[in-house]
Amino acid sequence: MIVADKKPIEEIIDEIKEHERILILGCNECVTVCEAGGKKEVGVLASALRMYFLNEGKEVKVDEKTLERQCDHEYLEEIRSMIDQYDAVVSLACGVGVQFTAEKYHSMPVYPGVNTCFMVVTEERGLWTERCQGCGECILARTGAICPVSRCAKRVLNGPCGGSTDGKCEINKEIDCAWQLIVDRLKALDRLDDYEKISPLKDWSTDRAGGPRKVIREDVQQ
Amino acid sequence: MQLKNKFDAGEFAILAEIEPPKGVDVSPMIANAKRVKGMVDAFIIPEMSNAVMRMSSLGGAMILQAEGLETIMQVNCRDRNRIALQADLLAANGCGVNNVMAVTGEDPGIGDHHKARSVYDLDLLELLQVVGTLQNGKDMAGIELAGAPKFLVGSTVNLGAKGRSPEIEVNEMKKKIEAGAEFFITPPLFDLSVIDPFLKRINTEKIKIIPTVLLLKSLGMARYIAQNLDHVYIPDSLIERLRKTPDKVGECVKISCEMIHTLKNKGFSGVLVSTIGWEHKLPDILEKI
Repeated sequence: MIVADKKPIEEIIDEIKEHERILILGCNECVTVCEAGGKKEVGVLASALRMYFLNEGKEVKVDEKTLERQCDHEYLEEIRSMIDQYDAVVSLACGVGVQFTAEKYHSMPVYPGVNTCFMVVTEERGLWTERCQGCGECILARTGAICPVSRCAKRVLNGPCGGSTDGKCEINKEIDCAWQLIVDRLKALDRLDDYEKISPLKDWSTDRAGGPRKVIREDVQQ
Repeated sequence: MQLKNKFDAGEFAILAEIEPPKGVDVSPMIANAKRVKGMVDAFIIPEMSNAVMRMSSLGGAMILQAEGLETIMQVNCRDRNRIALQADLLAANGCGVNNVMAVTGEDPGIGDHHKARSVYDLDLLELLQVVGTLQNGKDMAGIELAGAPKFLVGSTVNLGAKGRSPEIEVNEMKKKIEAGAEFFITPPLFDLSVIDPFLKRINTEKIKIIPTVLLLKSLGMARYIAQNLDHVYIPDSLIERLRKTPDKVGECVKISCEMIHTLKNKGFSGVLVSTIGWEHKLPDILEKI
């Protein structure tokens, strides 16, 4: 899933302070799981904003709504009949949802309420750790299903580098060396021979070179 | 410092583009540059234009500087992060390169290493500001430098591109000036009327605009550019002129010479002559100016 982190409320206030009718728009997917932009967080942010505007002596309408997703047309259509009541939307979805909402409602200012981070696993409640950068050419088959692109600080594809000590990364002694994890995993799989092979040059054109990416599935489109 | 002196004196500056080699044989590059020594105020050394890998601009500039030729080093945002860009700027100035031109750099997807991962740690405006930061004696981390570089700083302005509003272009140029750019190189121009809407909005006496004059090599090249490059306008009349002439190359050289004369008469600050691989033709053009 995608993890997001709450934006400081001061930053949100600074963006929306000139507006008078604001819709706080949550998303029921990833940002709900990471407790940054679901129904609960929509309520908390809306209350805080109402309190702020009240203290400022400003009459500002702050409403709440949480959609199943903000990255699909069908769910974003649910607010079409009500969107004209507002002069701004604060989206607590990831950056994808913020943009898709803005694309859908072209003349409506849409502000982000969270900082979108990366693709993660939930290790435990309140702890999400990165596992994938969406490079577009998965090499996990070669690396024992541990990703050096997302988990090695240097994205080294033939590791470990010289900064690996006692299985930890030179960046921070609390960070596991991804290549130590890969070696350990290949050992457990009895596939250490794979480690001996030099990884071929990675094709980064599936990453960001070439601009924004798209996936076209004609079989699904039909 | 010939280029800066020319700019300061308000004289028409002649720049020429010299591509470094794709390899280490620098003798043709040096020979081509030396052939027009005295006719060119500074040589622009492209930094892997069109994302085609070759010797770096820094390397090319240092080689020509060692031959007593003034250069303009290009720095682009595509291939280096802020650490490397600052390091190269210091290296360049330390080796006598006093002119720098900041560009964004084309996406690797169009070049010959399309699997490369581009950097773009800094964008063009940020890069221009970084040049200023270094000139003020500090690096981006705020750490004092042991000697600050001093550059004449240039950048690009996308004049005459199809579908670009002159307002946006002027606005972008103003931001670049604010960020430290002192002169601007345009895309190749073959018809000045396309940039009239832009020129009406700026004072060319105050802002140093250096149009690029591109040496066409053939009728085919002219047709290709006219049909495929959105940022370059070639009028039909020019293509017709090339079609009719038996001496295509001679006519191409003549077209470049005429354009340079026009630009000089119009009061531009200078011209960049781009011959993309035909640097041996530079004398033919420059001797007639």
